[in-house]
Amino acid sequence: MTDDQRAAYLAGDDAAAHEPVALPASDVAALDDLRGLLADHALWAEPPAELGERVVAAVAAARENPATGPTPLHAVRRASHRRWIMLSAAAAVIIALALGVFFGTRTTSNPEKFAATLAATELQPNASGDVTLTKSTSGWRIELHADGLPRRDNGRYYEAWLKSADGVLVPVGTFNDGRDVTLWSAVSPADFTTFTITRQVVGAGEDSSGQVVLAGTTKRA
Amino acid sequence: MASGDAQLAADFAAGDPDSVRAVYESYGRLVYAVAYKVLGDSGLAEDATQQAFVQAWRSAHRFDPTQALGPWLATIARRAAIDIYRQSRRNRGHASLEAAEPLLASAPPSAEQIYEVWEVRRAVDSLPPDEAQLVRLQHFTGLTHSQIATRLGVPVGTVKSRTHRAHRRLVGLLDHLRAGGPGAPSREAGG
Repeated sequence: MTDDQRAAYLAGDDAAAHEPVALPASDVAALDDLRGLLADHALWAEPPAELGERVVAAVAAARENPATGPTPLHAVRRASHRRWIMLSAAAAVIIALALGVFFGTRTTSNPEKFAATLAATELQPNASGDVTLTKSTSGWRIELHADGLPRRDNGRYYEAWLKSADGVLVPVGTFNDGRDVTLWSAVSPADFTTFTITRQVVGAGEDSSGQVVLAGTTKRA
Repeated sequence: MASGDAQLAADFAAGDPDSVRAVYESYGRLVYAVAYKVLGDSGLAEDATQQAFVQAWRSAHRFDPTQALGPWLATIARRAAIDIYRQSRRNRGHASLEAAEPLLASAPPSAEQIYEVWEVRRAVDSLPPDEAQLVRLQHFTGLTHSQIATRLGVPVGTVKSRTHRAHRRLVGLLDHLRAGGPGAPSREAGG
């Protein structure tokens, strides 16, 4: 059987088109399998455009914290601060699981989302921004778009935080330029409802500098 | 195996963001197709794709540079998709998932089936866009040559000749599948 005959079999769009070609049974079976594959949605499914950046961010997060997988938590943190973070994260997961069992109808294909509009402070009065937080199996993916923040390099950087109502602060990532940033959080914006961005300096300590340049309250989107 | 794959894998293992992006650009759609084949759900397939690349990065130091990167990633993608399925089942309750999504409750595709999906997807992706469109309209959308001609506004004879050319190219690209393919993923990836 030639490739032309195989192509003719595949290209035929009705049974009559197949009759002129004498096909060995094994070839017919293989070509029918191929027809089945070509009709499979998986062959034509396209990933969303942003998935590439999400993959890059997930690998970057895993590199920062290889023991626990994709997470935005920095490797170097004071032990007491880390314990607070872990306890807060565990509490958030338990609450999230309880809510999931209670409501029980959400699916991963329609992920939970929160969003916040970010307002400038007097430290950077021309800044503005917005943030979207989307739940995934790896944690909360945070898409940040901020304007009016001058780029910080050479030991100066920005850090993003989520804060709970009782003041527990969880870092969700650092960056130099805020225009198009992907961050990750292990805690839920349902519980850590205040999103802030601070100016930070390397070597000046691991806690928030308190120099907030943008802030907003997350709301379910 | 292309030497480019070995270099790409080495850069990937080093965690260089540019190389992660390059591996995704080369193989991301194929990994997604494998995940979609296993899971049948776009949201879960996205999660599985992300997890597959993280797992690949973690085990990249074990990648055998004499082998092709693609089948190695396909094996990891299949396993990541199965993990995501199990995780989803645990989170949402086994019984309710089976009732709602019987496809997911069946056995996952074998490594050989995944390899075929990978290779056919790669072949389709390498077709010229107009030929890929014809193949899609015929096999996925289920249109006849006459219906395709009407939709595209070209004579039926043109559709027939272009369709034959597309399938002739496809048969050539997939010839190695008939021979049992040297790149079939018979090994499990590390990590």
